[in-house]
Amino acid sequence: MFFLLRYVMRRAFQNMKGNLLPNLTTIAIIGISMLIFSSFSLIAFNLTSFLKAWEEKIEVMAYLKKGVVLSDVEGLRRKIRQFEGVEAVKYVSSDDAMDFMERKLGRQKNLLEGIPPGILPSSFEIRLKKDFRNTNSLKRIVTQLNQFPQIEEIQYGQEWVETFLTLTHLFRISQWVLGGLLLMGIIFITFNTLQLTISSRKEEIEIMQILGASPSVIQVPFYIEGLIQGLVGTSLAILCLFYLHYEVLLYKVFFLYITPSIKDWASGIPILFLPPDKITLIILGGMVLGFFGSFAASMRFLKYRV
Amino acid sequence: MIQLTHVSKIYPSQITALSDVTLEISAGEFAFLTGPSGSGKTTLLRLLYCAERPTSGEVIVNGIHVTKKGFRMVYQLRRTMGIVFQDFKLLQDRTVGQNIAFALEVTGHAPKEIKKKVSEILNRVGLQAREEDSVLSLSAGEQQRVAIARALVNDPPLLLADEPTGNLDDTMTAEVMQILTDLHHRGTTIVFATHDTDLILRYPYRVIHLRRGRRVESSA
Repeated sequence: MFFLLRYVMRRAFQNMKGNLLPNLTTIAIIGISMLIFSSFSLIAFNLTSFLKAWEEKIEVMAYLKKGVVLSDVEGLRRKIRQFEGVEAVKYVSSDDAMDFMERKLGRQKNLLEGIPPGILPSSFEIRLKKDFRNTNSLKRIVTQLNQFPQIEEIQYGQEWVETFLTLTHLFRISQWVLGGLLLMGIIFITFNTLQLTISSRKEEIEIMQILGASPSVIQVPFYIEGLIQGLVGTSLAILCLFYLHYEVLLYKVFFLYITPSIKDWASGIPILFLPPDKITLIILGGMVLGFFGSFAASMRFLKYRV
Repeated sequence: MIQLTHVSKIYPSQITALSDVTLEISAGEFAFLTGPSGSGKTTLLRLLYCAERPTSGEVIVNGIHVTKKGFRMVYQLRRTMGIVFQDFKLLQDRTVGQNIAFALEVTGHAPKEIKKKVSEILNRVGLQAREEDSVLSLSAGEQQRVAIARALVNDPPLLLADEPTGNLDDTMTAEVMQILTDLHHRGTTIVFATHDTDLILRYPYRVIHLRRGRRVESSA
């Protein structure tokens, strides 16, 4: 068994060495296909991570109508605090809002001169419990808040959240549609390369069959070849993506060509690389694809014909 | 050893290669299979090593019913026989030793055993001095001896030879026949397909005649 295994491995490498050009072409095409697929994965992963990070900070602002007296405020605050999923409710008076504005404007606070302090509405900052920081819970709490006549307006960045969710969803769908097309492409390419390798080794395979080599001894080297093509091609794609991510996107393009204000804002958003478990899955996926291409080719060309 | 019962073979192109052939070859026998081109010799051999399935009839080789429904172990059957062809079917990019070792490598033998067996078989066919030579540097007769050595290196009880002397001159044919005669004396069953009637007359072995796919007579 050990000798057969050794022989099978040696043959797989001999096959690859003997058909170097078709093998390199297959590796390159698998690499490019997997680079496209993993780029989509990376974007979708970052959009999801960003959404999660944003959800962590999610808050609902309920602006009160003018003329709501302080005695009503405490009653309202208590009622809102009892809503399912609400962690804390903070009252922000008109004066507090003005102080906040002044602090935010810093040296330019003189812009606020002449504006009466009561111009800004008082409000409640409603912080949600971790498990309730999602679109459905937000919508439910907003519906409950709308029932209070004292509340003028509610803000929680709903359009933003919904657009972002749609975008993430679109990326996920594109990733899998594209992934499906690339998958078929990769199987087709590996199938064809193997066909070339097999036809260049036709005589040898025929002799092996005459000599009574078992089907696995004949087929397994080709499976190994497909697995290696998938492994090398996908690993190269991941390395390439890593390089593009850190060297080109993150540092050069991203920080060179955008305006300073956007740069400041964007610097707070981490652009992550794919985590190890996702990288492992993508590499395994590439290997499985390579294997299937070889498997299909060997089923077609390497059977004992009786 | 070999038993064919009412075997017919009709190819998809409606060409009848064999028609109702019944024959038996005992263990240790040397049998010439003869007839003109297109008489069905090669088809009969191909049925024996399972490269073809008969359209009807039963084939038993080395005790294995190869026509039995569901029979898939072609490779195991082939390990019980050696097969030699007119065109040798050697790997041109390898040496004599590597060609013979190939038969043992693909059936999972240990390198030490392979070395020993290759050396022994090369002695038997008189090519020990050519082990490291490329097969391309050999004469046709020597190449056929390498093919025979490769077929015999696993010590099979049965040797099938399809026109093994078809490409050889008289001297080379005599060398090959000498090896096969020795092999026969050691107890190996040999089925030798040839259309060379002169060759058949020189040896006292059983002759099975085929004509247009039918068995016409047998003689000893």
